[in-house]
Amino acid sequence: MQGLQVQLRSASPIRLEAEFDCGAGELVALVGPSGSGKTSMLRAIAGLWTPADVQGHIRVAGQAWLDTALGVQLSPQERRAGLVFQHYALFPHMTAKANVALAAGPGWSDADVQTLLGRLGLAELSERRPSQLSGGQQQRVALARALVRVMPRPTAGDVTAPQVLPGVLLLDEPFSAVDSPTRQTLYRELAALRQKVSVPMVLVTHDLAEARRLADRVVIVDAGQTLQTGEPARVFASPRNARVAELVGIQNHFEGRFLKGEGGWGRLRWTDVASSDHGLDLAVFDKNKIDDGTLVTWVLNGEQVDVMADGELPSTTEPGYTRLRCQLLEVLSLGEITLCTLKPEALPSQTITLNLTSRLLRRLQVGAGGWVQLLIAPGALHIMPVRTK
Amino acid sequence: MDWSALHVSLTLAVLTTLALLPVGLALARWLAVTAWAGRPVVEALLLLPLLLPPTVIGFYFLVAFGQGSALGAWLAASGIRLVFTLEGLLLVSVLVNLPFMVQPIQRAFAAVPHSLREAAWVSGLSTWQTFWRIELPLAWPGLLAGMALTVAHTLGEFGVVLMVGGNIEGETRTLSVSLYDKVQGMDLQSAHVMALALVGISLLALSLVLAFDRVGQRGRALQER
Repeated sequence: MQGLQVQLRSASPIRLEAEFDCGAGELVALVGPSGSGKTSMLRAIAGLWTPADVQGHIRVAGQAWLDTALGVQLSPQERRAGLVFQHYALFPHMTAKANVALAAGPGWSDADVQTLLGRLGLAELSERRPSQLSGGQQQRVALARALVRVMPRPTAGDVTAPQVLPGVLLLDEPFSAVDSPTRQTLYRELAALRQKVSVPMVLVTHDLAEARRLADRVVIVDAGQTLQTGEPARVFASPRNARVAELVGIQNHFEGRFLKGEGGWGRLRWTDVASSDHGLDLAVFDKNKIDDGTLVTWVLNGEQVDVMADGELPSTTEPGYTRLRCQLLEVLSLGEITLCTLKPEALPSQTITLNLTSRLLRRLQVGAGGWVQLLIAPGALHIMPVRTK
Repeated sequence: MDWSALHVSLTLAVLTTLALLPVGLALARWLAVTAWAGRPVVEALLLLPLLLPPTVIGFYFLVAFGQGSALGAWLAASGIRLVFTLEGLLLVSVLVNLPFMVQPIQRAFAAVPHSLREAAWVSGLSTWQTFWRIELPLAWPGLLAGMALTVAHTLGEFGVVLMVGGNIEGETRTLSVSLYDKVQGMDLQSAHVMALALVGISLLALSLVLAFDRVGQRGRALQER
């Protein structure tokens, strides 16, 4: 079994319920607010933090690093975990090269270390101490020190095929301490690195945009719990529950009640508050997963909403499209994109936020206070049962 | 100038420092990282010699090791005499110098960020290797400061030397005791020379301490960047 599998459970000192995996060559981002426990999970993989009452396992390439059922617990030294610390934790009294050489295994020669540093653009800087390096350069030294733990000795010449390696690369908010242009460069370097080494990579970040940009899959973490795992686009479009929706910062997050219908169709009654009966109905698919009358929270995906002029007839005759007359409350032009806040006529207590192109608004010839129609596809509605926990 | 007294003083200072270094290092490293609840009590005990009059320490030393005590009698029977000897002086000197050695070293180890230890562990270094290759090189200014302070303080010690060592030429008469003798004997010329020598040595030691401390602070500033 390749890759990393994590399943941890503990009650104290913090509650922990972590379950996720990461394939060789895959980059998984643990995303959550500060204090959510994502860094603790990373430290648990590295062996730097093990709660006394922990139950579960951590396996890498089929090898158990932790298995409470078997009584296995490897020390940090025995695990092949390359960890990039948030503030790098470079040894200040050593040169860049010595920092990396310290972590290198017995197969590594001085020249090998120099080659690795060269690949990361540090060839000229290898004799400098951390204090003589910029933030981005320090970050690359930290990355080299982590890589040297999980890479086999670099062979002569360039590596063409990604190599499968028995370790993991762990990145603890590695981009938080560098300025924005440097961060962009480092993003590209990380992408290039992934072409060359094939280890599971786990990235801890609180930055959703960063996770979305870098990760193959994201794991949403909150209060010590892994709530949802999936491809970024999928998790953002279909959060499993209201808390995930909140954590990934989804706009247009509302409450309502699911009503069953016939022929695979149901209705979503959009209400002011969850318990209310008054509201407006939207057509939705009924996948037979939610019982009639269930209180739900739901998300409107703005990318699947069409905007038409008031009174215009829709071009589509497909069933299930809901037309919604709305008033533009606020129109905020941000260049190409205009941020609009809309109030449905039938439910004036609620507001919808949409990012529309400025061109579309010019064509419709409406501004704040004007009226438009929204054409909502049934697929634009993502419904979640209310989280009862 | 009482050259034999200078010799005794320097011998005592060097031996005290050498004997205290391993003890102080172990205690300081332990105090810097331990989460044990009894730590403040140990720290208070170590600081006690700073506050107590030297005569109190000298008095208890005499009570413990004098001929009248069971321990003193047993030691005497084994041929070991600690009262009015350089060996005894060395023992009590190690005790009173504990805070001067331990404090700067403890501060130096406490200033090494814990993340550096963790970085060393995940890099494959054992706890012992981490100590030698990471912690000790970063804490060395603290070690040097502790050693310089111990030397300076041993040279300046007076009360406890007089009580425990007496005033035996070539054995326990240190420079500071000899200076006291000269003043009593109205030999102010010699007193001036020796006083000046003590001022010079102490000033040098303190300058070194401050210089090492500055190096240590710079090191810490780098790590926090």
